[in-house]
Amino acid sequence: MTAWGVGCYDDGAARVPWEISHEEIQRDMGTAAKTLAGLGIGAGDRVLFTSMLSEAGQFWPLIVGAMLSGAQLSCADANEGDAVRVAMFTRLIGYRAVLGITPQILDGLDDLGRGYADVFAGVPVLGARPGAYERLRDAGLSPHWFVLCGPAVAVATAPGEAARVGGDEWELASDGDRVLVTNRRDRATTFDRAPTGVRGQVSDGTAVLPFEREQ
Amino acid sequence: MNLPPVTSPYYDEEYETMPRAQLEALQEELLLEMLPHAYEHGALVHETWDAAGVHPRDIKTLDDFRELAPYIDKDAIRRFRDERGDPYGGLSTVAPAELTAIMSTSGTTGDPTLVPEKWGGGGGGRPAVITRDFWGMGVRPGDHVALVLFTFRGPTYGLFQSLGTIPVLVDFDPSEMARFCELSLRYRPTGLYNFGSVLINAVRDVCDARGFDPSDVFSSYKGVVFAGEPLSPRARRLAEEWGVELYEHTGVGDVTAAFECPQHDGLHIWEDTAFVEELELDGDRRELVATALVNRTAPLIRYRSDDIVRITRDPCACGRTHARMWPVGRKGDEIVVQGKTILPIDVWSAVESVDACAMGLFQVIRSAREVDVLRLRVGYAPPAIESSVRDEVAAAVFDATGIVAEIELVPNAALLRLGPPHKIPRVAKR
Repeated sequence: MTAWGVGCYDDGAARVPWEISHEEIQRDMGTAAKTLAGLGIGAGDRVLFTSMLSEAGQFWPLIVGAMLSGAQLSCADANEGDAVRVAMFTRLIGYRAVLGITPQILDGLDDLGRGYADVFAGVPVLGARPGAYERLRDAGLSPHWFVLCGPAVAVATAPGEAARVGGDEWELASDGDRVLVTNRRDRATTFDRAPTGVRGQVSDGTAVLPFEREQ
Repeated sequence: MNLPPVTSPYYDEEYETMPRAQLEALQEELLLEMLPHAYEHGALVHETWDAAGVHPRDIKTLDDFRELAPYIDKDAIRRFRDERGDPYGGLSTVAPAELTAIMSTSGTTGDPTLVPEKWGGGGGGRPAVITRDFWGMGVRPGDHVALVLFTFRGPTYGLFQSLGTIPVLVDFDPSEMARFCELSLRYRPTGLYNFGSVLINAVRDVCDARGFDPSDVFSSYKGVVFAGEPLSPRARRLAEEWGVELYEHTGVGDVTAAFECPQHDGLHIWEDTAFVEELELDGDRRELVATALVNRTAPLIRYRSDDIVRITRDPCACGRTHARMWPVGRKGDEIVVQGKTILPIDVWSAVESVDACAMGLFQVIRSAREVDVLRLRVGYAPPAIESSVRDEVAAAVFDATGIVAEIELVPNAALLRLGPPHKIPRVAKR
């Protein structure tokens, strides 16, 4: 079978390509379905994913997981330019969750003069990446941590709690405050305590609480 | 459907080379199935046709449709959306609970509009856009294909995976071009979807800085697709110097999309998925009008695209029988300055001829269709000296158009933030 694709992750120093197999994407869909269920996302809900194309290896399992759970999905880029699209989506559609919010989207909303509390009002689950989490919380919202630990996706099931990766697939560790990732099952690309660019506190091998960034 | 033999120049030979008479009979059959569905279930079509006093039962032939069917346009969709509180602008023909996804248009001409989708069983007909086009370029199963895209259209990579190819995923961002060059040299993709002037200029800068040979970077590509807006003359020159075979690609009125074939003699519209017409405007200008034939989730019926085009239905030398079109410009982009019609393409070469403005980022300020002064907002690369850049651009624009323009300079980054850089809005109201 041919490979699923070649994605990309950030290791803190560079953007690193990773080859992805169809088999691991299939397994990750199962993990993603559990993650979404943990956020209360199910049939009839709507989810807006904010990501970049190079992150499709991390996001596609979540997208399919949402579809399989009966939820409806939307997509926007996680950059300044697509902040207008994010604002349009949340104005017109009632979302259960917006997942993957980045500081760049918030910068774009700032440029548009749009308040975060206004744009995301009524969205119960805001999955925010480091740098966006703090800004949303400071705006009076209750975001969940949503962290790309390299190729692995860690999501918190409640605001303020640590984000977790799928423990069957990934193991997190730390080297000082740097978060490292190792794959537990065979993958097209092997990760052995690979740096992730995330700084935070790791516990029980699957949970990460990122250190907050100064605003 | 099964993949064809790798030696076949066609992905779907029966449909791609269908005789015109048979193709038009197929269109009529599909249209006559679509109209009652769109009228019964699509609120905007229903209202528009009622207002025009036309009913689908009045349409029995393609000629009836050409004579009687009313038009809709983007403003009508936005108006329906805003007045009725219908997020889909009256286009959706399925119950909200049946939708799989809610995507959106690019939004280059204003607020993006929503595109409701039903994946798997929602219509769509035979595989057409992208699959037929990339197969025709010579992309084959097992090849890597570089996708340089945004996400708002949804998981486009699935179409490439259905061809048995392996997507190499790159963000549509000039800052990603170093990675693009590295991945091209490593995986040697055969297809690229999609590029534009800004990215070509960025590749040149990366190659200069990193010592890559751009001809080597692109040596494996059988086709490099560009889209969103015309390629700037400078970018086209660069690509041709590097030996790149460029394929133009454009949307067909939010109904489908069109690509060049290896003959590079117009962009093929797959007419078993869309019925296209030319609406006479003034002089010899024609506006593209498109009708969905297979999208049963949100069918656009006689949709005025705002795109000025030329269309032929003469057979192509590639053997395909479907219509070909040549984009000319966008109706809403025209501006008349001191009685002279100006399109963005008319000032593009002038802007990018100034080194600090080589990215070709600019906007025509169009406060009204007819204005006394041509005002341009032009991106430049600091730390160039603003006053001299402004003078150089003004002089180049005067040479190109004979018009003295007012130039507002802004850093390139400020314009890139206005939208996906494959097509920042080239016209702004202020």
